[in-house]
Amino acid sequence: MDESKENDSPQLRPGLWATVNERYPGSMITKSDFVPLARLKKPLSESRLTFISTAGVQPKNSLPFDTVHPVGDYTFRRVPSKSKPEDLEIHQLKYPTVGAEKDLNVIFPIERFQELAKEKIIGSLSPNFFSFIGYNMNPEMLEEKLAEDIAEAVKAEGSDIALLAPA
Amino acid sequence: MSLQYLKEAVSGSDTEKLIRYVRLHFGDGNEAAGKQEIDKAWIEALKLLLDVPATDREFILNILAEKDAATLAHLFFHLHFYFVERSGEWIHDGRV
Repeated sequence: MDESKENDSPQLRPGLWATVNERYPGSMITKSDFVPLARLKKPLSESRLTFISTAGVQPKNSLPFDTVHPVGDYTFRRVPSKSKPEDLEIHQLKYPTVGAEKDLNVIFPIERFQELAKEKIIGSLSPNFFSFIGYNMNPEMLEEKLAEDIAEAVKAEGSDIALLAPA
Repeated sequence: MSLQYLKEAVSGSDTEKLIRYVRLHFGDGNEAAGKQEIDKAWIEALKLLLDVPATDREFILNILAEKDAATLAHLFFHLHFYFVERSGEWIHDGRV
């Protein structure tokens, strides 16, 4: 990227990703057995959508995500898709939450999904959305426990589409 | 994988790799900041004890006797962030 383009979209921490493997040796997942994305079997307006986020969003009064553990937290929280932003809070340490504290939708666009479902652009929303924190330094546990646990929960709610969003 | 890296460091008594990992965690990827954060937590804890206030030693000794080492290690990490937050100098982007 040339300098002018870089200045157009400045990173909060320049060079962050360039050194991630040096700072957290081996923590980045490298896979050769990618699973192809599934094709949508029916129109969006007839499909049930779920949302999966690493934003650390959770219902107030639920057990806070473990942001202090040196190896990470391999649990997830169900976030009722009917929730209002004021019913929710964020527990995480690794991304700026200033904007999200003012309007949760910038990181967890729950009201936008509710609007899209009401307008029937999306068929419906799954009863729950799913949230976890991205600080997980054990890739095997991330893939074999957390991801599997979330996948089972998503499947149980009959979702046709899972929208994944990193924080 | 990262845990393998750390476990090899434990096996090889490579303490520098281990403490570096802790500093990176406490400093959100900045080792120098993490070192300062460790100092900050200890200074805050020390300040609270300078006047020798009454403390609940019975509670402390019971916890140390009753809880497993992993739980206490987890508590140790919680205490770090507790004292850093109490210091009023919070460098992290989010919250615990």
